[in-house]
Amino acid sequence: MSNDLVAILLSATMLLTVVSALLAKKVSTSLILLFYASLVLGVIFTIYDDELIGLVTMITFAGAISVMILSVVLMTGQSAIGTERRNSQLMIIAAGAAVVAVAAFAVFASAPGGTPAGGGGASMQILGFIWTYRPWDLLILIMVFAASMLTVTNLLPEERR
Amino acid sequence: MIGPQLIFLVTGTMLVFIGIVFIAYSRNMVKSVMSFQAVLFGANLALFASVLGGAGGDRRLMGDSFIIFSILVGASVEAVGLALIAAIHRRYGTLNPEEIRRLRH
Repeated sequence: MSNDLVAILLSATMLLTVVSALLAKKVSTSLILLFYASLVLGVIFTIYDDELIGLVTMITFAGAISVMILSVVLMTGQSAIGTERRNSQLMIIAAGAAVVAVAAFAVFASAPGGTPAGGGGASMQILGFIWTYRPWDLLILIMVFAASMLTVTNLLPEERR
Repeated sequence: MIGPQLIFLVTGTMLVFIGIVFIAYSRNMVKSVMSFQAVLFGANLALFASVLGGAGGDRRLMGDSFIIFSILVGASVEAVGLALIAAIHRRYGTLNPEEIRRLRH
């Protein structure tokens, strides 16, 4: 049951983030939301015992591709200041909160048993990776990624001036 | 009991179709590349779901290899697409495909 709930939450976050990214009017907002989608995909792979794929996804999409799209956006000047600035910031905060909530849920779901992979029930086995590999490091990493991305995209309007 | 395999398979398929629709209707080429990235996410998630319920071993290893191959090919395609976008913007001054088609003639 808990297993399905985590999968549904992660899938819903993924769909919501991608659709918001594609529907956003400003390209810089789309870029931030797509960055969050890459992180969610990496978290999905990591939670379901495929750490290598999760790492490759995060490095490739959240790292390299995001920076390439950002440089193209800067070069082509697509990030004009829009009137929907407050809305886009709200969307960014909502997507970030969703990622943190899902990660926190996964952490707290695995905490009471405290069983690393190999013991406990099926859901504990799946979530065991996060418990074994120090969950707060992963959360802090996600927050640092998100904060650096927000800082860089906040510099875009300054660049335009 | 649905199971994570079916959930991720459905999510991946939905992402692929959403991405294709947005590629078709997008008026900005950077947005088209982003839609392609959504298609890639969906394909990777569906590939991952297809090996999730297996017994492990060779099948899991083959699935992982396919996913890494897909990620690398997709990233390369996106890089080429972004380079083309930069070149097109330098030449035509716009990223709207209809305007580019009009300016070409």
